[in-house]
Amino acid sequence: MPNVLIASLPYLLRGAIVTLELSAVCALLASAIGIIAALAQSYGGLVARGIALIYLYLMRGTPMLVMVFAAYYLLPYVGINVEPMTGGVLVVSLYYGAFMSEVFRAALASVPRGQWDAGRALGMHGRWLMGIVIVPQALRLAGPPFINTCIMLVKGTSLVSVIGLVELTLSGREVVERTLAPFQVFGGVALIYFVICYSLSLCGKALEARLPHAH
Amino acid sequence: MPTDPTRPIITIDHLSKRFGSLAVLRDVSLAVMPGEVVAVIGPSGSGKTTLLRCINLLEPFDAGEVRLDDAPIGYVVAPNGRRRRQPEREIAKARAAIGMAFQSFNLFPHMTVLRNVMVAPMRIKRVSRDAAHETAVRLLDRVGLSDKVDAYPRQLSGGQQQRVAIARALAMEPKVMLFDEVTSALDPELVGEVLAVLRQLAEAGMTMVIVTHEMQFARDVADRIVFMAEGSIVEQGPPQQIFNDPQSERLKAFLRRYREAYLL
Repeated sequence: MPNVLIASLPYLLRGAIVTLELSAVCALLASAIGIIAALAQSYGGLVARGIALIYLYLMRGTPMLVMVFAAYYLLPYVGINVEPMTGGVLVVSLYYGAFMSEVFRAALASVPRGQWDAGRALGMHGRWLMGIVIVPQALRLAGPPFINTCIMLVKGTSLVSVIGLVELTLSGREVVERTLAPFQVFGGVALIYFVICYSLSLCGKALEARLPHAH
Repeated sequence: MPTDPTRPIITIDHLSKRFGSLAVLRDVSLAVMPGEVVAVIGPSGSGKTTLLRCINLLEPFDAGEVRLDDAPIGYVVAPNGRRRRQPEREIAKARAAIGMAFQSFNLFPHMTVLRNVMVAPMRIKRVSRDAAHETAVRLLDRVGLSDKVDAYPRQLSGGQQQRVAIARALAMEPKVMLFDEVTSALDPELVGEVLAVLRQLAEAGMTMVIVTHEMQFARDVADRIVFMAEGSIVEQGPPQQIFNDPQSERLKAFLRRYREAYLL
């Protein structure tokens, strides 16, 4: 029976490419959202902080599956029609943006107070202080939890299959419907997810080894 | 504004600061003349470090004034009498003229030694890369670390890190240097090399305010000793007067305890 898996592999791999594309775009967007939300929450004014906090609690307090359905079935009611890919990018980016925000916020908060003092004492402030002293150190501290969140994001994209985006999981389901061999096919699907996520872990390790340690 | 040798560089006027219900500084006034070396001594919790950090606004304060070359820094008083903090940009400008070295060194760990010393002159003073490099190399040589330019801070001993931190502050060509217990975090055998740098700076005419527990050093190097307790300046004067002929009971008790502890 393993030939079922081999025969369906090209189809699964096409799904895997969609998963990779979706993940890459969402990881970038989620990081950008996360950095902005972290800065807003940590150093923003009252309004910026309020918006960031509402966003964070909304995202963290709602299952992603519910948000996927909401984007797909509710947005058309207000006149916005979303393609599965667009809806997927939207929901996954917003959802993991909240977790990325926590990653960056924690990293910013972990830069020792003495570093702020030293930068300020030299006459740095605002963007210079952040850009020269704080953010470079925070990014190094953010490395491991960032990779962790990326891995969760890759796996999270599987939920977008419920609105008909033919990524890896939905490819698997379609192949199972035709071959009636769920064990082999989902075994293959799981293996592909594992390879993607394990590669990410390895990238993270390599990155950590290359960057000079912050402290 | 050029520094007038007959006027104080730093003037602290009736400075007060509270942390909640605790008054950490009570109506402190102090003027530092150009080229003067002032050592601030006193028991832990007496407000020495807080006073130093108020001079360059790393700590906000509640009342009073700090002036650099007679220009108030940190706060402005509006015509209606309201006291308002200056924009960060203005405060940063004043801080650039005041160098500071910290107990915990606070070197930038993600930069080499050379980069640590070059970065502020290049980015803040807009000095050219070549000029910043030349200054950095000269200063690192002066603190005896010309062989460490490409090292990262974590590869250096505490004494070496502190000397880099002093070079980093000097690279901004400050009008005055603040030293906040710069030897307190060092192993005893590394204290000497840092004090030697301070001594050399004092001899070169740098204006310095030094918060320290190194009494012998303060006595040798300072022009004036300021003794603080419970947020106030209790007594001040030339070293021999402070150490040999203390007037207040508090200072006498402080020196007695110090001598007992160090068997001096």
